[in-house]
Amino acid sequence: MDKFAALVLVILLLPLAGAVLISFAGPYLPRVAAAVIANGTLLVAFLMTGIVALTGWQATSSGQTIPQHFAYGTWALIPPLKISFGLLIDPLALTWMLIITGVGFLIHLYSVGYMASDRNYRTFFAYMNLFVFTMLLLVMSDNFLWLLVGWGGVGLASYLLIGFYYDRVSAVLAARKALIMNVIGDVGIMIAIFLIYAHLGSAAYSDVFARVASVGAPALTAIGLWLLLGAVAKSAQLPLHTWLPDAMEGPTPVSALIHAATMVTAGVYLIARCYPIYDHAPVAAEVVAVVGATSALFAATIGCVQYDIKRVLAYSTMSQIGYMMFAVGAGAYTAGAFHFLTHAFFKALLFMAAGIVIQNLGGEQDIRKMGGLAGKMPLAFWTFLIGTVAIAGVPPFAGFFSKDAVIDAAIALHHPVLGAFLIIAAFLTAFYMFRLLFLTFFSGAYRGDGAPHDHPMVSMNVPVVVLAILATVGGFLAAPLGAALRLTFVGALHDQDIATINWPVAAGAFLLVVAGIATAYALYQVRPQLRESLIRALAGPRQLVMNAYYLDTVYHWLVEVPAYAIADAAAGFFETFIIRAIPLAASATAAALGGFARAWESGQLRRYGLTIAVGVVLLLAWYVITAYAAASQGVLPQ
Amino acid sequence: MPQVPLADYLILATVLFVIGLVGFLVRRNPITMLMAIELMWNAGNLVFAAFARNFGDMTGQVFVFIVITVAAAEAAISLAIVVMVFRHREDVDVDDISVMRG
Amino acid sequence: MVVLFWVCAIVLVGTAIAVVGSRQPVHSVVGLIVNFSALAVLFLTLSAEFLAMMQIIIYAGAILVLFLFVIALLTVGNQPIETGEGRLAHQTVPAIAAGVAALGLIAFGVRTAWSQSAASPPADLGTVPAFGTALLTTHVFAFEATAFVLLVAIIGVVLMAGRKEIRF
Repeated sequence: MDKFAALVLVILLLPLAGAVLISFAGPYLPRVAAAVIANGTLLVAFLMTGIVALTGWQATSSGQTIPQHFAYGTWALIPPLKISFGLLIDPLALTWMLIITGVGFLIHLYSVGYMASDRNYRTFFAYMNLFVFTMLLLVMSDNFLWLLVGWGGVGLASYLLIGFYYDRVSAVLAARKALIMNVIGDVGIMIAIFLIYAHLGSAAYSDVFARVASVGAPALTAIGLWLLLGAVAKSAQLPLHTWLPDAMEGPTPVSALIHAATMVTAGVYLIARCYPIYDHAPVAAEVVAVVGATSALFAATIGCVQYDIKRVLAYSTMSQIGYMMFAVGAGAYTAGAFHFLTHAFFKALLFMAAGIVIQNLGGEQDIRKMGGLAGKMPLAFWTFLIGTVAIAGVPPFAGFFSKDAVIDAAIALHHPVLGAFLIIAAFLTAFYMFRLLFLTFFSGAYRGDGAPHDHPMVSMNVPVVVLAILATVGGFLAAPLGAALRLTFVGALHDQDIATINWPVAAGAFLLVVAGIATAYALYQVRPQLRESLIRALAGPRQLVMNAYYLDTVYHWLVEVPAYAIADAAAGFFETFIIRAIPLAASATAAALGGFARAWESGQLRRYGLTIAVGVVLLLAWYVITAYAAASQGVLPQ
Repeated sequence: MPQVPLADYLILATVLFVIGLVGFLVRRNPITMLMAIELMWNAGNLVFAAFARNFGDMTGQVFVFIVITVAAAEAAISLAIVVMVFRHREDVDVDDISVMRG
Repeated sequence: MVVLFWVCAIVLVGTAIAVVGSRQPVHSVVGLIVNFSALAVLFLTLSAEFLAMMQIIIYAGAILVLFLFVIALLTVGNQPIETGEGRLAHQTVPAIAAGVAALGLIAFGVRTAWSQSAASPPADLGTVPAFGTALLTTHVFAFEATAFVLLVAIIGVVLMAGRKEIRF
């Protein structure tokens, strides 16, 4: 193993080591030590990832090739199936790794302050490090099986962290819901892997993607759609998105790390990673694009009426991931990855700024009980503002460039309807984000009953400021990112330069964004009466949207109720009349046979005698019959 | 002096045997049952003797002698058992004695 | 000879039924004495003189006296047994049916297989010298075994009857 391979392996194993150390040391570990271990492992991992990325960058720009694939040996050998353990560190994986370790480190740092008073402080960091490890495994793996291991692992970590406040019923239920939805996706990926192995004879990316051209489109479409099921569940896209808003029951750093920046983008990563499959399966790719664009618009409408600050952000996450999914489905893989990058910056920033607000209000999340906080929490306000303009798409903030790249792709790749969805969603995004901003920080005086105060904590403020800077300038990473990702998406159908901006489109989109901001400003700052009358006029549709189109109710009646009915029927009928009846019948038969045998073994002398007599009679009858039969054939009995 | 046919002896013996058998199965007094057994022994003896004459062979008669001896031994032991059971309980019904029940 | 056979046959069957059917064991014993005597007469018709004597001496003389002793010893003053229903259901009818079936089958077989009698037996068949010769030469081993059987019976009876307490 050369030094580079060892370095890469260490990046993967450091968070795991942290998680194991904190878990096993348990209560013997001082709280500070747990925080130091968790943060230290991530910081080192991030720096090492940076070294790898820079080395690769330098090598590539000076015309050298650098190894991307590192094999460490065979993991499982079941002839003819051979699964090796190897890591694939290409620009795509590095993009995700940098975000996972970098933003992950910032969020860990933020957690030091945010979770300071929690009694399960060490557990929290152990879970967070476990999450980072599994997420890194997911993106670094060089084959589908280890990807699935990481895929399941992030689901587990997500489950543990959503249910972190396990004494809250709603948190436990939300965790369960997330796990069930994610397992549906895991099954999809598993089936996809089976199909891949059946059709392509390997689970390693290099083999699979090299042989893709030799397999027919129907098989690839099936694989693509099953992979999409996994991606949809993990990335909270329609129709498996309902767990994401509920997942906001977890601590805010969890929402920032898992349910905004990293885990929920695993679906985007998966589809980008499998770009050769989708390039050869246009139907599956089209479905991905439709799901993404629809989810973007769908979630944006819901975001407009929510009152929980974190739920608004959750729906906006779903909406932004819809953009990414659309991009990778349409073939604009680079644009999707770029939007992932900027989104990780500004969405983590928004969650962490919201976390500061929530903490300073003593846990209050309802924006109807906020307002007028701009002056009371200046840092939270300014950083939240930067995040808001970044997500809304105001130049020169990060979101402007990445969203423009996605919309450009929609136009360039001829998706007029889906492109329209995205543009409407962009308008709505600007509207609901500024609605959130106004309701939280302006719109008159403070409406809640707490005592808003700002008590600055360095560990919370530093990451927020760093992310605010990144959200501001992140858009300018387009050029290097585009150049780097071109190395990954070799031979992709569409080659898009995300660094060039299609100015007419960008200008049009920006006008819509301004219109959205203006609408929010009008309704929430200038004319609250207008808003009231609008709410009255649109009471019906508003009710529909506020309840997230009643999808939870639909699932309740479509899945939960029949499932319970089947289970009840099984318990009532199957259990009683079949499962229990079989042993009962068996025992009854045995008892009857035993009773029959017992009746003969009565100890009664006369009954024994009768038995002998009957036996004698039967023997006599047998003898007479055979003798008579023999005599009738002329043979005399002897 | 006309001979009685062998078949008549055999059928007479069968009738005696069946009477003894039915008596053994139907009665519940152990002493009566033992007497029914004696009837069956005797039916068997009659068959041996009849065949002995039929074949002009002494073996059948010797066998009857041995059967009589064994029957005597059997009667002695059975009656001893009955005496013991009677000593233990005043009223003896064979159906009440089922300690050999499986 | 034929008349004698049929008289004995009727006596045998009648007393046998009396033995099985009487309620008092003493009556059964009396019936059994008559039964055994008639059987001894039948042995004579079968030219088995020694057996006829043995039948009277051993059966009527020894075994039935033993029965009488036991009855006298045990049932005096006791309630007559076999009052009320027996414990076994479905015993009497199947027993009689089995008996009748056995009778029918054997009679059928006998009529079919042994319809003819053989020629006249030798003149000395069943005489005491002939019997003794057969018993003590050809069948001496069986004779000695019988002695052993009787010895075992004596020991067994002494052991069982001599014991004061038994448990069931």
